[in-house]
Amino acid sequence: MLDRKVLKSLRKAVGRGTVLSDPVDLLLYSYDSSTARGTPDAVVLPTSTDQVARVVRVCADRRVPFVARGAGTNLSGGSAPVRGGVVIQLSRMNQVLEIDLPNQRCVVQPGVVNLDLQVALAPLGFQFCPDPASQKVSTLGGNVAENAGGPHCLKYGVTTNHVVGLTVVTPRGETRRFGGKALDAPGYDLVGLFVGSEGTFGIATEMVLKLRPLPESTQVVVALFDTLEAAGEAVSQIIAAGIVAAALEIMDRNTVSAVEASFPTGLPTDIEAFLLIEVDGPAEALDRQAGRCAEICRNLRARAVQIGKTAEEKTKLWTARKSAFGATARLNPSMLVNDATVPRTRLPEVLRGIQEIERRHGVQIGKVFHAGDGNLHSNILFDRSDPDGFHRAEAASADIFALAAGVGGTITGEHGVGAEKPHHLRLIFSEADLEAQRKVRRVFDPLGIANPGKVLPEEVAS
Amino acid sequence: MSAVGEALRELETVVGTDHLITATQGVSAYAVEGQQPLAVAQPGLEAEVAGVLRVAAERNLTMLLRGGGKHLYYGAPCGPIGVVVSLARLNEVVEYDADDLTITVQAGMTLGALQRVVEAHGQMLPLDPPGPEDATIGGLVAMGLAGPLRMTYGSPRDLVLGLRVALTTGEVIKVGGRTVKNVAGYDLAKLFVGSLGTLGAITQITLRLVPAPEDRALFAVALSPARAREATAALLGSRLEIATCDVVTCRAGIPMPASLTNNPEDVIVFLGVMGAREAVVRQNRELQAAFPEGIARVDDEVWARVRDVAYPTGDGCLLRLNLPIAKTMDLMELIAARPGWSAAARAGDGIVYAVGPPDVDVLTAFRSAAEQSGGHAVLEAGPVEVKRAFPVWGATIANTDLMGELKRSFDPARGLSCGRFVA
Repeated sequence: MLDRKVLKSLRKAVGRGTVLSDPVDLLLYSYDSSTARGTPDAVVLPTSTDQVARVVRVCADRRVPFVARGAGTNLSGGSAPVRGGVVIQLSRMNQVLEIDLPNQRCVVQPGVVNLDLQVALAPLGFQFCPDPASQKVSTLGGNVAENAGGPHCLKYGVTTNHVVGLTVVTPRGETRRFGGKALDAPGYDLVGLFVGSEGTFGIATEMVLKLRPLPESTQVVVALFDTLEAAGEAVSQIIAAGIVAAALEIMDRNTVSAVEASFPTGLPTDIEAFLLIEVDGPAEALDRQAGRCAEICRNLRARAVQIGKTAEEKTKLWTARKSAFGATARLNPSMLVNDATVPRTRLPEVLRGIQEIERRHGVQIGKVFHAGDGNLHSNILFDRSDPDGFHRAEAASADIFALAAGVGGTITGEHGVGAEKPHHLRLIFSEADLEAQRKVRRVFDPLGIANPGKVLPEEVAS
Repeated sequence: MSAVGEALRELETVVGTDHLITATQGVSAYAVEGQQPLAVAQPGLEAEVAGVLRVAAERNLTMLLRGGGKHLYYGAPCGPIGVVVSLARLNEVVEYDADDLTITVQAGMTLGALQRVVEAHGQMLPLDPPGPEDATIGGLVAMGLAGPLRMTYGSPRDLVLGLRVALTTGEVIKVGGRTVKNVAGYDLAKLFVGSLGTLGAITQITLRLVPAPEDRALFAVALSPARAREATAALLGSRLEIATCDVVTCRAGIPMPASLTNNPEDVIVFLGVMGAREAVVRQNRELQAAFPEGIARVDDEVWARVRDVAYPTGDGCLLRLNLPIAKTMDLMELIAARPGWSAAARAGDGIVYAVGPPDVDVLTAFRSAAEQSGGHAVLEAGPVEVKRAFPVWGATIANTDLMGELKRSFDPARGLSCGRFVA
């Protein structure tokens, strides 16, 4: 509980109507899209950088934790206030401040929804490349904090490759500018360090993003396979053939069944794998590239291969993939999402390993993969009414992390460490590695109030 | 024995007698800005690199890290150089997973050597900084060096997946990983890339590769500055997917095909295209149509010259201006108007290199023009007197307090790359 003086200071910082402390309000901000939970002591809704800075200074003065929050779509607990404190809800800072096409940049506030920016840019012939699956709701502030990915990161890179400048309110309550429209600001790459710091290095209140012309043309190939491994092999062969696909996505049988149950698209539900390939660029090259992808799939005994060229065909082919997460969640709202990532050459064996883990723990896993960059989404379903269900899901998830780490992979490709995975970092980092990360965190947040309990595991008592 | 003598003796036990060169054996080849080090350590193993850093830090010897040694022009004037730590012996491929399009190499491998390894598999590392046969991977990553391809593929910060770094504590840490997507923990690779050896010694680098393009071509066209401004803006905003876009003034001295006009006021625009065969044919056709003044195809040697405009020669100054992209041509014209100065731009990245005689007043004027345009300027190379009179990284640099704290966290004795960087 915050004492009344703190609440009063917060009201002074942002205005009376924008501090919530009613228990029902607080409950609404106690969770995100992960399994992490924690009730905040207050929620504030600032409308400017200056207000954010004032709120953070109140927190710093009183050593009260704070957690920045956008749309709450985080899948690792990054926006859940697990240590209580103040939730800084940024949805009122939702303006696109500038679209600067001659410089191929835009300046946005953190509460802008990713898709809203894309919708503003598309008629101008431009895009912001990162396109997380949550883009209809997730905000750019969250995308930056988590270094979000998405299907098209395969060709265009993840969020960090597209952020060039930030206005940041640090955990000490100072407002700083990192980078800007021009590249290579002298000194350490503070922009690169900040992106993906999951709200523990401060709050970005303005972001300068790179824009890129939309590709002239795209084609989509979908292939249906009778084994998951064959789909994995197709991905390996496409990459090895030198085709730089814009997206390479796999869904397994569980996921296809879930999609067909909720948003029927006419896919057979007895296939083991659905593979979607998108190629883009100057139109002339696409027929041959798409044709080559289709040929690779046919040679691997794909049951059916379809190529989409018109907008309508392409949308239809993407629909199943884009509904995957929602459909799986509809099948069973209790879901642990694992996004371990592996070297692409290890995909076939890792896919076998995950099927084995599924059997061993008696859990159902919906597998949706950004296969082209080795990023696996194992959606582990569990039954909250079964007391053992969550534990089995967690055990399966831990085994997948260990499997990925064992082949040179990582425990999270795009969802973040958040509150769910700090202890799993020890699978891939030594204490010395973690200590280096703690040093950097202490520089940004000496008081330990910015999203505590996230990212790094506690130090081992010596 | 003197304290220095004891320190050198201890370094010798770390790297072996054969791999510690001392003043008596001659270290003049390792002098920087006329300053000779006390000794040169040539560790051959990662653990030896870490040992050298630990001993030097404990013994209060300052350190200068060295790869190929040809890019040491870069940075502010050196503070005292105790021991040069050469990474050149760590020059092997650690792991090349061709089908995964990733490679892990030791820091001392040259870019040229790496390119030959991956070329054999139809792949490339899309980094083309000046002097690829001189540049080691560790060095170019520590400098953040890139070239014309940056506008399409990014710079080391975008291509490095993970690093191993020796620290002054004697520990070796891993940052990042080897997968193309990875958000596990903080992205400390971004901290070390471009840190100019001020925080630790990068010993091993994992990079993402790309398939070598099926076809590629470089075109040159001579245009008036006004026409170049309009043409580059149109191409950069188009969907034609131009891979490189460099603009140089005639005085930059790149040999031109005779078919191009030779008006000294003109600039030469170099446009690179690469990718699928059909795409390159189409790009070629559209570029021919877009430039009725005549566009010429140029060869790989010219391509290398365009890349090496950022490689300093002689006693001149090389000033890098980073600008919002649309200001590129304004600054080109400002520089070209100065007698004795030439300019070359990576137009897609808003980078202009100005090359000219040592003249602090002119450098100051260029920097202030860059700052007024929303950018900044860094003196990449120049005589040490000029570097002392003209702050290399800028007169006012934001966030140096925060950077200083990061520096202290990793190098509390401040022994690494003394004087060279902002922190």
